[in-house]
Amino acid sequence: MKPFFLLFSTRLRLLFKYLTPSEHKLPRVTFFIIMLGFISGGYYIFFRIFKYLNTVEIIGPAVMSRTIEMIFFVFFIMLLFSNIISSFSTFYNNQELHFLFSLPVLPTTIYLSKLFESALYSSWATFALTIPLIFAYGIANHARFIFYPVTFFSFLIFLLIPAALSTILIFMFIYLFPKLKPRNIVFVSILFIMSLIFLYIKIGNPDLLRIFETENEQELLTFAANLTTVGGLYIPSTWLSNIFKNFLAPDRTGYLYILLLLSTAFSCVLVSYIVAESVYHKSFLLVAEQGGKENKKKSLLASFQKNPVKTFLTKDIILFIREPVQWVQLSIFIILLIIYIISLRRTPIYFGFSLWRTIIAFANFAYVSFVIATLGVRFIFPAVSLERKGIWIIASSPFSLQKMFFTKYLFYAVLAVVIMECLLFVANIFIRTEPVIFRFSLIVGFFVALSLISINLGMGCIFPQFNEDNPSKIASGSGGIIAALTSIAFIGTVIVIFSAPVHNYLLSSYFNRPLNLKIIITAFIIFGILSFMAIYLPVRYGLRSLKKRDF
Amino acid sequence: MLSVRNLSKNFDGIPAVKNLSLELKKGEIFVLLGPNGAGKTTTLKLIAGLLHPDTGEILLDGIDLKKEPVKYKSLIGYVPDEPFIYNKLTGREFINFVAGLFGIKKQEYDKRLTELIKKFEIGNWIDEPAETYSHGMKQKIVMCQLLIHEPELILIDEPLVGLDPKMSKIVRETFIELAQKGKTLLVSTHTLSFARQIAQRLGIINKGELKFVGTPEELARIAGREDIEEIYLKLTEEN
Repeated sequence: MKPFFLLFSTRLRLLFKYLTPSEHKLPRVTFFIIMLGFISGGYYIFFRIFKYLNTVEIIGPAVMSRTIEMIFFVFFIMLLFSNIISSFSTFYNNQELHFLFSLPVLPTTIYLSKLFESALYSSWATFALTIPLIFAYGIANHARFIFYPVTFFSFLIFLLIPAALSTILIFMFIYLFPKLKPRNIVFVSILFIMSLIFLYIKIGNPDLLRIFETENEQELLTFAANLTTVGGLYIPSTWLSNIFKNFLAPDRTGYLYILLLLSTAFSCVLVSYIVAESVYHKSFLLVAEQGGKENKKKSLLASFQKNPVKTFLTKDIILFIREPVQWVQLSIFIILLIIYIISLRRTPIYFGFSLWRTIIAFANFAYVSFVIATLGVRFIFPAVSLERKGIWIIASSPFSLQKMFFTKYLFYAVLAVVIMECLLFVANIFIRTEPVIFRFSLIVGFFVALSLISINLGMGCIFPQFNEDNPSKIASGSGGIIAALTSIAFIGTVIVIFSAPVHNYLLSSYFNRPLNLKIIITAFIIFGILSFMAIYLPVRYGLRSLKKRDF
Repeated sequence: MLSVRNLSKNFDGIPAVKNLSLELKKGEIFVLLGPNGAGKTTTLKLIAGLLHPDTGEILLDGIDLKKEPVKYKSLIGYVPDEPFIYNKLTGREFINFVAGLFGIKKQEYDKRLTELIKKFEIGNWIDEPAETYSHGMKQKIVMCQLLIHEPELILIDEPLVGLDPKMSKIVRETFIELAQKGKTLLVSTHTLSFARQIAQRLGIINKGELKFVGTPEELARIAGREDIEEIYLKLTEEN
C-alpha cells in the first residue's frame, strides 16, 4: 500500500496547489472568501426554497422530497458523464502515465490513485453545491446534529459510485472494441449511459417523463402524496436522498441506506479494481498504439494560408475538432439543450395562460443565460491556456497577443450570441411568449452573451494555466471557479435588475395596474452600466495581464 | 544588426541576467556558452520578446522591441529548448500555421517548404500528427517552421537536443549557409564541440553575467591555451 499512499498524497498535494491560486498572485484568503460567498449564496437560495415549501401544506413536503431526489438524480447522471470524460483523460490521455508505468508500481496502484484524482476533478462542482444544500435542508427542517456529518459522509461515499462505474465502462469499451478509435470511446460510452438511463426511466419509472395535468385541487394533492421516487429504488441517488430524509428525525431506516450506499460503493470500487487488474495496462498500451495509427490528416491548414487571423482561427477549430474531450462535452451540451427545447414544446395546458407564459419566458431567459455561462467557463475560459507551451510561437511572432485575444473574442462572441439568440428565439416560439417579452429577451440576451464571453476570456487571461493539457481541469481550477462565480453573480444581478420591471409589466398587463416607466428605464440604465463593466473590465485587465506575462 | 544594452532580468528577486550588453553583426554566428542555469535561455527569451526585461533595451536594425514589437518580431525566428508542437496538428499544418502568422508569400512558401522537406528528410512524417513524433522529429519540424519565414535574426536554444549525428551535421551546415546568406544567428548551447565548429564569436555566460565575448581564437589566446574546454570550465567554475 506504500506506493499507493505515496502516489495519492502527491496527487493530493498537486490538486491542492491546483485549486488554490497562489500562482496567480491572488491571495488564498480572497479565494476562500469568494468560495465562502458562493456557498453562503447557495445556502440562502436553498434555504428560502425549503423554508417556503415547509409552509405549503401536503404538497410542500412532497415537493421538497421530490426536489431533493431530483437534485441527486441529476447529480448522479452528471457525475457519470463528467467521470467518463475525466476518466479517459486521466487513465489514458496523460503524459504522466508513461512515467508512472515505467516505475516498479503495479497498474492497480496507479489505477487507485488516479481513480480518486478523477473522482475529485469530476465532482468538485457537485460538492460545492451539496455543502449549502446539506445546511439549508438541515436547518430548514430543524435537523438533529447527527444529520450533518452523516449526510456529508454519505455524499462522499456516493461520489465514488459514478467514478468507479465510469472507469469500468471505459476500460471495458476500450478492451472489447480495440478497433474503436480512442477519441470515439468517450462518445460511445456517454451514448451508452444515456440510452441506459432513458430505458431505465421509460421501463422502470415512466411517471418521471410524464407531465401531470389537472385542474382539480384534490387530484393534485393525491398525486403529490403518492409521488414515486425520481430515480427508482435501485439508484444510489434515491438512497442518498432517503438518508437526507430519514436522518431529519430519529429513524433507523437511514442506517440501512448508509449500509446500502457503502456496500455499493465498495463493490463498485472492488469490481473496477478487478477490471483494472486484468485490463488496464493492456488497454493503456492499446490506446498508446492506436495513437500512432491515426489516419493522415487533411484539413484547411494542410494547404498554404495567407491570412494570419484566418490561419489562427483555423488552427483553433482543428484542435477543437481533434480533441475528444472538447467535442464530446459540447455534444452532451447540445443534446441536453435539444432535450430542453423539446420539453418546452410540450408545455402543458395550464401554461396556456399568458401570465404563466411570461413567467416561464423570464425563467427560460435565466436558464439560457446559465447555459451560456456554463459553456463559457468550460470552453472559453480555457481558450488562452490551451495555447499551452506553444504560446512561444505566438508571443515571438508578429501576430500580437492582442490580436490573438481579439480573434478569440470575436469568434467566441459570434458563437455565443448565435447560440443564445437561437435558444431564446426557439424557446420563445415554443412557449408562445408575447412580443414585448420576446424582444426584451433577445436584446438583453445579446448583451448578456457578450458580457459572459468577456468575463470568461478575460479571466482566462488573468488566470492562465499553460502547463495543463486537459481543458476540463483548466476550467475546474481556481481561476475557472472564480470565472464561474463571477458569471453566476452577473446573471443573478441581471435577473434581480429586471425582476422589478417584469413584475411591474405583468401587473399592468394582467391586473390593470399602471405601468411604471421609471422602473423600466432605471432597470435598463443599470443593466447598460453593468454590461459595459462586464464587457470592458475583463477585456482590459485580461489583456493587460497577458501583455505583462513572461512566457 | 542586433544591439542589446544593459539587459537585466530578475525572477522573484533572484537575478537571471545581469546588465548584459551585446552587439551582433549581420551574417554573424554568435554562440552563447554556459552551464545549466547560467542565463542562456533567459537571454534568448528576452531577445525573442517572450520575457519582459527589468532594465535595458533591445534593438534590431534600429527597431526597438519595446516600442515596435510587431515590426521587430516579423524579423526574428525563435526555437526554444523544448520543441513544442500542438499534438493534434500534423507537421505540415504546424509549419503552415507559423507561415500564416508571419504572412509569407505563396511562391516563397512553396519553394522553401519543398527544400526543407528534402533537407530535413521529413517527407514521410510531415502529414502525420505531431503526437506520434519522436523528440528529434519535433526538433526537425520546429527547425522547418523557423526557416520557412527566413528571419533576419535567428535565436536557437540548444539546437542539437534529440538530433542524430547526421541531422546534427545538416543543422550545422544549415547554420553556416544561413550566415553566408546574411542572416544573424544567436545560438545557445553547452556543447563545446558544436560551439567550436560554428561560432564566429562566442560569449561565455555564468550566473547571468557575460564573462567573455570574443572569437574562439581570442579566447584561446587570452588563456594561453588552445583547448577552450579548459577555459570554459575555468570561467564557469564558480558555478
